[in-house]
Amino acid sequence: MRSQNEFSYGGDASVKRPELNQEVSDKEWDNFVYNRKSLRGKHLELWHHVSGCRQWFKVQRDTTTHEIFKTAKMNEEI
Amino acid sequence: MQKYSVFSLIKNAFSDHMNWEVAWKDPTPKKEYDVIIIGGGGHGLATAYYLAKEHKITNVAIIEKGWIGGGNVGRNTTIIRSNFMYDANGRFNEFGMELWRNLSQELNFNVMFSPRGIINLAHSDAQMNAYARRGNSMRLNGIDAVLLGREEVKKYIPMADFSDDVRFPIFGGLMQPSAGTARHDAVAWGYARQADSMGVDIIQHCEVEGFNITNGKITGVRTSKGEIKAKKVGLCVAGSTNILAEKLNMTLPIETHCLQACVSEPVKPLLDGVVTFGAGHFYISQSDKGEMVMGGDLDGYNSYAQRGNLPTIQHVLTGGLALFPFLSRLKMLRTWGGIMDMSMDGSPIIDKTHIDGLYLNCGWCYGGFKSTPVSGWTFAHTIAQDRPHELNSELSLNRFSTGHLLDEKGIGTKTWIG
Amino acid sequence: MSQKHRLKDKGYINRNKIINFKFNGKSYTGYEGDTLASALLSNGIHLVGRSFKYHRPRGFFAAGVDEPNAKLQVQLNGHSEPNVNATEIELVEGISATSQNCWPSVNFDIGAINNFLHKFFPAGFYYKTFMWPKSFWYKIYEPFIRKAAGLGVASVEKDKERYDHKFEYCDLLVTGSGPAGLASAYAAAKSGAKVILAEDKHRFGGSLLMDDVSIDNLSGKDWADKIISELKEMPNVTVKNRSQVFGYYDHNMLVMFERVGDHLEKKSEFTPRQRLWYIRCKEVILSTGSIERPIVFGNNDTPGVMLASGAKEYMKVYGVLVGKKPIIFTNNDSAYETAIEFKNNGADPLILDTRKEHMSELVNEAKNKGIEIKFNHAVIRANGYKKVKSADIGELSEDKTEYKNIKKAECDCICVSGFWTPSVHLASQSGNKLKFDNQIDAFVPDKSKQNEFTVGSANGDFTLQNTLNKGFKAGKDISKKINNKEIDIQIPNATEKKHNIHDKFWCAPLPKKIQAKRFVDFQNDVSVTDIEIALREGYRSIEHVKRYTTLGMATDQGRTSNLNGLQLVSNIENKIVPEVGHTTFRPPFTPVTIGTIVGREIGKHFMPTRLTPMHEWHVKNNAVFVDAGAWKRPRYYKIGNETMLQAANREAKNVREKVGICDVTTLGKIDVKGPDAAEFLNRVYTNAWMKLPIGKARYGVMLREDGMVMDDGTTTRISENHYHMTTTTAQAANVLSHLEYYLQIIWPDLNVNVVSTTEQWAGAALAGPKSRDVLEKLFPKSNVSNEALPFMGYQEADLFGVPARIFRISFSGELAYEINVQSDYGMFMWEKMIEIGSEFGIQPYGTEALSTLRIEMGHVAGPELDGRTIPQDVSLDGMVSKKKDFIGKRSLSKLAFNQSDRQKIVGLIPTDRKTSIPEGSHLVIDKNAKLPNPKLGHVSSSCWSVENNNPFSLAILKDGKNMIGKKLFAVSPLKNISIEVEVISSHYVDHEGKRVRS
Repeated sequence: MRSQNEFSYGGDASVKRPELNQEVSDKEWDNFVYNRKSLRGKHLELWHHVSGCRQWFKVQRDTTTHEIFKTAKMNEEI
Repeated sequence: MQKYSVFSLIKNAFSDHMNWEVAWKDPTPKKEYDVIIIGGGGHGLATAYYLAKEHKITNVAIIEKGWIGGGNVGRNTTIIRSNFMYDANGRFNEFGMELWRNLSQELNFNVMFSPRGIINLAHSDAQMNAYARRGNSMRLNGIDAVLLGREEVKKYIPMADFSDDVRFPIFGGLMQPSAGTARHDAVAWGYARQADSMGVDIIQHCEVEGFNITNGKITGVRTSKGEIKAKKVGLCVAGSTNILAEKLNMTLPIETHCLQACVSEPVKPLLDGVVTFGAGHFYISQSDKGEMVMGGDLDGYNSYAQRGNLPTIQHVLTGGLALFPFLSRLKMLRTWGGIMDMSMDGSPIIDKTHIDGLYLNCGWCYGGFKSTPVSGWTFAHTIAQDRPHELNSELSLNRFSTGHLLDEKGIGTKTWIG
Repeated sequence: MSQKHRLKDKGYINRNKIINFKFNGKSYTGYEGDTLASALLSNGIHLVGRSFKYHRPRGFFAAGVDEPNAKLQVQLNGHSEPNVNATEIELVEGISATSQNCWPSVNFDIGAINNFLHKFFPAGFYYKTFMWPKSFWYKIYEPFIRKAAGLGVASVEKDKERYDHKFEYCDLLVTGSGPAGLASAYAAAKSGAKVILAEDKHRFGGSLLMDDVSIDNLSGKDWADKIISELKEMPNVTVKNRSQVFGYYDHNMLVMFERVGDHLEKKSEFTPRQRLWYIRCKEVILSTGSIERPIVFGNNDTPGVMLASGAKEYMKVYGVLVGKKPIIFTNNDSAYETAIEFKNNGADPLILDTRKEHMSELVNEAKNKGIEIKFNHAVIRANGYKKVKSADIGELSEDKTEYKNIKKAECDCICVSGFWTPSVHLASQSGNKLKFDNQIDAFVPDKSKQNEFTVGSANGDFTLQNTLNKGFKAGKDISKKINNKEIDIQIPNATEKKHNIHDKFWCAPLPKKIQAKRFVDFQNDVSVTDIEIALREGYRSIEHVKRYTTLGMATDQGRTSNLNGLQLVSNIENKIVPEVGHTTFRPPFTPVTIGTIVGREIGKHFMPTRLTPMHEWHVKNNAVFVDAGAWKRPRYYKIGNETMLQAANREAKNVREKVGICDVTTLGKIDVKGPDAAEFLNRVYTNAWMKLPIGKARYGVMLREDGMVMDDGTTTRISENHYHMTTTTAQAANVLSHLEYYLQIIWPDLNVNVVSTTEQWAGAALAGPKSRDVLEKLFPKSNVSNEALPFMGYQEADLFGVPARIFRISFSGELAYEINVQSDYGMFMWEKMIEIGSEFGIQPYGTEALSTLRIEMGHVAGPELDGRTIPQDVSLDGMVSKKKDFIGKRSLSKLAFNQSDRQKIVGLIPTDRKTSIPEGSHLVIDKNAKLPNPKLGHVSSSCWSVENNNPFSLAILKDGKNMIGKKLFAVSPLKNISIEVEVISSHYVDHEGKRVRS
């Protein structure tokens, strides 16, 4: 268990950046940059161990209770 | 409707206060309304009131999943201001200031609006310049603003730390003298009482379960109290916006976050206005009860919990002590959290949607309370006329697509970075 | 005689140590081990304060955290502190207390006139009046109300005492050292589990200190002492008294507030006053006990009215007799113990029991002791103003809504008991949804959301044997869970008196002919009538009732009032309590000083201060510093009586004419390494990076995905797969996180690593026409000619034995170099440069001169890159590749960014060539236009052009590219300034950029 202060939040992990050098519609682009589902309940999100090992990683967390179900490295599936 | 006044108070005192009327009724929903407003918070109640008053649309229901005024209107730090840099935000909120100034009389309910002023402190010349840019923009929009030097700030808040033992000395600040505070609950109740008296049905403990949409047009809502038909539906649900958007298959430029605030024990008045710290996340005012009302930063992750954690409170109060060392010996009495609908540029959205008859009011971030009257006023106009008023024309949903952003802080889309 | 209400040989105070203290200016004595409350009561003082709204006299109502009334202004250790709970603060030599919220004195308070006008001040009266005339609210009414606001007076002095933080991890945290807490802590500790036992009071034992029980043939207190001393011996156990667990947060993080210093007579300057503990626990046992709730009756706020448990605690713990002729008004058996204790101490109690004729072990004992008991009776009203003198008592009718006969009974105190309310605050904070227990008429914890378990009376379990059984079992279960050990402990046998069921009676009806206020919430003066009015007016949700009447919103957070308020609402609304629900329990459990929450990050320690290796030199050379984030940077070096502007102009001029040196250590520096480093930079920056040769630097601009400029800087290719990136000082941390985000999340296939090297390198910029002359002498072994080291070139060199990096880059627009050495050699480098440069007229320059130099050149910086500008806005279009994709490119096609009148950076000069244009001014066509006056742009940066000897500014202007040559007004209404300006190019000096290449 490490203190919350060591980490910073990185938002919804399910948002995918459109590939480089591809035609991207306005809608697709805005869905990447602006639009968020902000789910209530289970939420897959990114965290950064910013005052620590500097790893970005994935967390599955409940946005109503803050309970953390799972964490995973970026190259792992949740 | 029974009129409130000192005379009615005296009269009722002699009948042992047995004859007060209810402030609002508790009706069962009708089968159909012209307009349904979802969300019995400040903005929803104000919208219903202005629909009835300004547009004579009284066949209106407000649907609230809990009790009215239980969301952010009942859990904010009561600051009212129009100190914005962008014209769209400044003019919108300055119109709101005018509504605030007359609100107690208009609603016949003392909302205790007090123009006690707000000072945004600056701790560097660069920050003074940024405030000058904002303040000059305000002045050119006809909004009052004063740039204070260090000595002038000292006159307002002599108990702030003007010693050498500070990390970031006070250089000065931007003040909006006409800004202030109001009694938050009273705003919700005052609007509710007047809306009710004009025929609006306030339906509490009624949760929206779904929407009925036919051929791209809204026809009603499905609720825990049954199906209710409506010609038009307005969404005014702040932190629950994303939840209802999901039911509508909409994805919005909104994220839901928790913002905490806290109060100290009540002490004799020593801080008159609202003060914000410029080198950290902290703001403070003193309520009419004597409590220091303090807040600062988001907890920093998506949340619907209405509860935060202590490190954020510690972070905020650390800014507090840097500014006002005397707070050290005051005791923190209560902390609480509210759920914020954080828009991606920090400014609100009041607009139509792609669904005919469905209107959207959201994205208030930390500052929905101050805009309660003007939000209701413009949203009522948008619903009644089926088009935005000039005042909210730039608070559009499609500004994110077009790039006409209203980013007062210049921090971009990362809502969790204050 | 002092302490004449002190009992002989009773209590746990130290009679060998007399403590002197003052109350409202008069001197008194008490003993070590007293609270301020018990010491005052021992001196017969009940009246200690006035109520908030009606200024009614108020006395002690309880003996602990549940006290609603006795909040005093306390002077201790040279500090004055408001709202101190007299029942919690320990008596210490020299303490001085005064009553609050009264004037001129607590005995004679002018504000009490409100009490006579109470009819006109019902719940919510202020919402209904003070509205006419309009301006009067803020000018007349509200100042008057504010004057009445608040309780004590906050000192504006700086707090001289210290506050500490501590971080702990444990297997089990036990909150409360009553029987439940002791049993569970002991059982868990026996298995070796790491246990923290926290007790709020300074004495351990909780109810065992007061209750007439025994455990394994020891008195309750002796058993508690024995367990505590055993626990203290165990290395795996931390036992803390004076420590209140006040918050239960996510992931079993609990916070505790320890009172370390205030009770000490002598302490070192390093002893903190209070300490905050962040405790992360695997398991939590909540053994927070229960609080007695009162029965509501007329004038129940009169001094001398007290909880029965409070009276008992004063006798048993402090040896203080609060009355000689007490009335015990109860609906249950527990108050009989108080009556018996009174009797044992020579008082003459009268018991009024709302229950019908009733038999139980305790009732029998009371009867046997000769205590008078009136069953089916209630106190209707207390009489007496500043102290109870008598009570109107009545025999209850069959349905208990009326009285059969009413009499007056003499008394000097009324001890009231309406049964017990479990302290479920922490359980609720943890996320546990509470359930209503009809047996005890109170909420108890339901299903756990986190690893918590409630034991004892906090869980509604009011018998000692059950509590011990469950406490030991809970401790054993936790042992099993933590250490997988089965512990064999004999559960002790408790001897206790059996209590019969209580009566569901919580508010005495008030006959029409008897006038009195019946208070539900004492501190906020909320009466039964107020709640009735709120409901009548439609404020029916319990939250509406709370907010409209302010029930439970005082500093005691409604500990003794919430449940009675709920009962009242449910009765009137004809609902059962669980339907009405309860208001939310929020941290902190008891008020916590803000100093404790903040800890040590105060004053200059608000934020760490970052200093460059050359800092001491700057200090010695009269540098005036500016905060740049956490860094201190020299703003200018003051010579004689120079103003900042004079100094900055001198320094800038020296750079333009000779040579200057600037500490640029604070710039962010990031090593970018790996075979895909070029590809990565190519995606991060807007311009092309695939073909940068080794030993060359390039200027780059990076965007956020929304198209706004995020940062700029130069990046140098040190070797095949190694790039050295620089960022602005302000954005250094954000850029690193940004790069890591893309490398780790978006493009993990790229073989690149990034690491911050900001603190590894000290940097000095050498700028000016003579900089090469200095450089040649500085690096005699290197060839630094224009051919060998051209603009944007890079060399590694030897600085008198120290490895150095030379970058030929320029922010000032002059011929310039930036030299980096390892931080340890920063000062050496700097002093060498000053020494060698002296013959060329070298002078250090600070950030003001740096600004002047870059503004003149039209180089953008923070004020232009404010998170709202795209590259085109700041004339960086040339940096934007059309051929390749990069972060944020797709956003640049947005409509607003391509409008023909899009904003653009321009230069401005005042038409009079004299008047400086303040930053933050806006540009308008007509300075006298009526408001709102349309704004065309704003002035972002200003300087005095040392090259042209007149003011020059940069501005972001709508349709800027077509505005060159036009005249506008720069207006600053804040400063009452308007200046006619001419719009010119943003490149004011050396338009072709010849100097940097010279």
